[in-house]
Amino acid sequence: MIEHDVVCPFCGCLCDDLELETEEGKIVKVQNGCALAESTFMNDVRLPAPIRRTETGWEDISYTEAIKETAEILQGADRPLLYGWSSTHVEAQSIGVHIAELIGAVIDNTSTVCHGPSILAIQEVGHPGCTLGQVKNRADVIIYWGCNPVEAHPRHMSRYTTYATGFFVPNAQLERTVIVVDTRRTDTAGIADEFVQIEHGGDYAVLSALRAIVRGKTSVIPAKIAGVSKEQLIRIVEICKTAKFGAIFFGLGLTMSRGKYKNIRNAIELTDELNRHTKFVISPLRGHGNVYGSNEVFTWMTGYPFAVDFARGIAFYNPGETTAVDILRRGECDAALIVASDPGANFPRDAAAHLAKIPTVIIDPHVNATTALSRIHIPCTAAGIDAAGTAYRMDGVPIRLKKVIDRGYMDDAEILKKIYDHLNGGKGP
Amino acid sequence: MKCILNTGRTVPQGAYVEHKGSDAYRSVASAGFLNPVDMMMLGIEDGDRIRVTTPAGHIVLTARPAEGVARDEIFVAIGPYANHVISSETHGTGMPDFKSQSADVEPTKEPLKSVGELMEALGGLHYDRT
Amino acid sequence: MTELWVKNACVIDPIRGINGEIMDIAIRDGRIVESVSDRADVIDAQRCLTLPGGIDSHTHVSGTKVNFGRYMSPEDMRAGRTKRKGKMHVTSGYYVPTTFGNSYRYSAMGYTTLLEGAMAPLEARHTHEEFTATPHQDMMANTLFDGNWAVMDAVREKDIRKTAAVVAWTLKAARGYGIKLTNPGGTEAWGFGEDLTGIHEMVPHFAVTPAEIITTMIRANELLKLPHSVHLHCNNLGKPGNYQTTLETFDIVPDLNPARQTLYATHVQFHAYGGGTWKNISSKAEEITRSVNIKPQIVMDMGQIMFGRTMTMTADGPMEFNLHCLHHNKWSNHDVELETGSGIIPVTYSKKSAVNCIMWAIGLELALLTKNPYQCLLETDNPNGAPFVKYPEIIGLLMSKRYRDEECATLATGVEQRTSLFALERELDWHDIAVMTRAGQAKALGIVNQGKGHLGIGAEADIAIYPIRTDSVDPAREYRKVVEGFQKTRYTIKRGRVVSREGEIIVDGANATFWVDAKVPEDLKMENDPEFIKRFEQFYTVRMSNYPVQDVYLPRGRRIETEVFT
Repeated sequence: MIEHDVVCPFCGCLCDDLELETEEGKIVKVQNGCALAESTFMNDVRLPAPIRRTETGWEDISYTEAIKETAEILQGADRPLLYGWSSTHVEAQSIGVHIAELIGAVIDNTSTVCHGPSILAIQEVGHPGCTLGQVKNRADVIIYWGCNPVEAHPRHMSRYTTYATGFFVPNAQLERTVIVVDTRRTDTAGIADEFVQIEHGGDYAVLSALRAIVRGKTSVIPAKIAGVSKEQLIRIVEICKTAKFGAIFFGLGLTMSRGKYKNIRNAIELTDELNRHTKFVISPLRGHGNVYGSNEVFTWMTGYPFAVDFARGIAFYNPGETTAVDILRRGECDAALIVASDPGANFPRDAAAHLAKIPTVIIDPHVNATTALSRIHIPCTAAGIDAAGTAYRMDGVPIRLKKVIDRGYMDDAEILKKIYDHLNGGKGP
Repeated sequence: MKCILNTGRTVPQGAYVEHKGSDAYRSVASAGFLNPVDMMMLGIEDGDRIRVTTPAGHIVLTARPAEGVARDEIFVAIGPYANHVISSETHGTGMPDFKSQSADVEPTKEPLKSVGELMEALGGLHYDRT
Repeated sequence: MTELWVKNACVIDPIRGINGEIMDIAIRDGRIVESVSDRADVIDAQRCLTLPGGIDSHTHVSGTKVNFGRYMSPEDMRAGRTKRKGKMHVTSGYYVPTTFGNSYRYSAMGYTTLLEGAMAPLEARHTHEEFTATPHQDMMANTLFDGNWAVMDAVREKDIRKTAAVVAWTLKAARGYGIKLTNPGGTEAWGFGEDLTGIHEMVPHFAVTPAEIITTMIRANELLKLPHSVHLHCNNLGKPGNYQTTLETFDIVPDLNPARQTLYATHVQFHAYGGGTWKNISSKAEEITRSVNIKPQIVMDMGQIMFGRTMTMTADGPMEFNLHCLHHNKWSNHDVELETGSGIIPVTYSKKSAVNCIMWAIGLELALLTKNPYQCLLETDNPNGAPFVKYPEIIGLLMSKRYRDEECATLATGVEQRTSLFALERELDWHDIAVMTRAGQAKALGIVNQGKGHLGIGAEADIAIYPIRTDSVDPAREYRKVVEGFQKTRYTIKRGRVVSREGEIIVDGANATFWVDAKVPEDLKMENDPEFIKRFEQFYTVRMSNYPVQDVYLPRGRRIETEVFT
């Protein structure tokens, strides 16, 4: 059987034009997808049943037992941490928020180690953006800054930017100028019309120089800024100012390097500045398929996109304090529920190590590094493969992930709902 | 060699991200990409092992040459190998220094660890039945 | 079967011509009935003011733009936060509260039905997800068509039937309620950083004018027999001298529907400015109301501003950028491919600013100078003019000249000469307020026959009982009591159930979402139109099959089907 217009749940592009061939409840072929999509659908090896760590090894347990023990762990904790959420659907995410509210937990999502700094910057200066179709149909200048879509978002360029045919840009490849800014000469840099190689930690200075040139203060710029020549900077400003529609996409090269959210703030303010000359937009390249959905859900339910602490009864937000890495680093939490993510692999070692010291439960379809650090691992459906639900694309467009096959697993939303019911004396959220 | 540890996503890392126990994942996540000139200075070849030390700890990686990596930089795909030597300090932002950890790189003969071994070093217990 | 008996209610129900009668109301299974058994629960209203549940016909409470307002404003989240308590979830925010915050605070004020003012069809799923988390009000969503490429193509071809067909397809796909035009044509121009300055200016690349979009959409709306009229945010919002654009727009509106208006003009305060610069801006409320008073085909809402901090958010992207250039605070913009734009910036309306004072005066003037209260509804374009929790103060101002005088005395200098407010003696009465906060909205939205906005037999039992005794309060003098009374109902009853008592929510909500399934002849269905499909697949970034909102997003969807036109 062929399924058309399937949505790939892997990255924030949420490409929705995949064709999947299924045979007897198995996916046998993926068309239109990138290598990441192919791997997501084809090499989907699951943990077969819930497991619990014993003194000497691992034992299989029932879902009922796993859910009950998870609820008891959370119930008994003084400062539980609920972390992850980015690879599942909105339905599970919202039950997660309800659990956190009920037990006074800290709830955080993976943007904390991804675009958390972008959110901090947006909270200072706002976000001039748009949906990806605006870029596809209009943009004649594309800037990729501190990101590597060839590796991280392989179809971003063909679906939305460089190679995408747009209404006002019928000959995409000829009509679009691509600028890549990075410390490394990545594969993305290889296709750039202009590649700007910045010294490590030099982003902020280069952004400031560009803003100065846009404002006509060229004379204050020295001959070289963070390894970039003044001539090149002037050339880039010229390209931007004469663009009909320019779009900046940025990645972890800005959020994780020195300056962090200040880099993003500067990039947004450059965009603002350029809007006084032409049309310019800026957008983060969001990583996980539904990380933006977790920000959206957290926001409409609690008021904050990530790092929400319910310990005081109200929703409290203070990144740097209520963010997952900091809570773990300080050894503050005494239980953790990890959903649809892998902090064991993605957090610095001290933070990850604390997970092994406390009762940690992970709900995730796959065995991952966090499994080893956990007391219980409960497998579940994978949103977009054997479970349907909402995911928010990196530009905020909500798309319904499809259930393509049935593998007999319980939906994580259902598992979480049962945990909630346990915690709430049998009553649902 | 003193350098900056830079991390990021790669296609193979993403493709094997749900197979962290696999040899393929180990090979992509434990590769340390260096500028060929730096490799020459260190006297190492493609495939040799290197020891990366930071204030947070040390890790053994496999050296790989990459023209795109700047001098005095080592690039490692995001994942448990890179994170084994990254400090959890966030400077009040929630975000560790994933792209600007200062590190020391030297040749070594020590063996490469598996993801399971890394997690066991943190107090975990490897699960290997899938 | 659940039954409720509300006795000794002082009812004002304008749609049924009831004005302050003491009566009993019988409710069974969520609807108003002739009588109930003696097993019914009883509420003694103690002769308090009892009105049909409040209806907001233009508010921004759910969806992409509203949520981005929250996302970018932790400072506002901290400005209003409550703990989990009983059935109430945690809430955060003052001018852009969380969904539960919106729902609880509206409910405490007796509001039971809300129309989200702007939903981009591409992002409709988001709006519906937030609707389900706004549990104490029935919801509906104005659907944005101001920069819709397929609409503009049909308008250029002067094809009303095709225009109607695009509207019908899109409303169904978005599960939307009615047509919203925000700065028609201007949001498309903003795609390349431009704006339009008048209703006869061409939209770049599309060769249509706002006037053509407005009139064609009005005719398409009536051809489709949609319950609501076209809902228009006029061009040139917030620009000195824009009243002329507004009057020109009103002048091209035909009178096509005997049951309701043909055009709903929203937040008209922002469109009633004289002068040519911020220095000489003045009120043109008299000119605007003179036009509306002789045009029964037009209903407007006030778009009242109130002093203090709030957040402006609209699909009108270019306007927000202009405002940003004045305020230099944070600015967000979010254009939506092939459909519309949007922008968000925080603002503070200050009594020290003569411009803000004039804006404040204009909204009140509009309400006081409009003869028929059904033609000027009470709204702040929440949260643009002020958060909705300010409605009771606006009611107080409209009912009391003394209250207005006291406020006017605190305004910046030079305001009196540029508005007529200081001279207006009119004081609205309880009946006027009931019209301007529920009956008028129900009529304008076309939901009277859905059982909204009145308390007749068969109506939905949405009722607000305020702690106000109209026989013993003189609103002109005791306006404080009026304001307090409207801030917190004694009881808010939603579909026959008490949901809020003295401002506290006591049940989990279960709202409904109204949407319109407009029927078109078989040969006009866009899902069969090869050209429409081709353009869709080429220029949108989602597949056409993934675009429509699935029924699962409307757990209690109420489909309103229209008759097919010929």
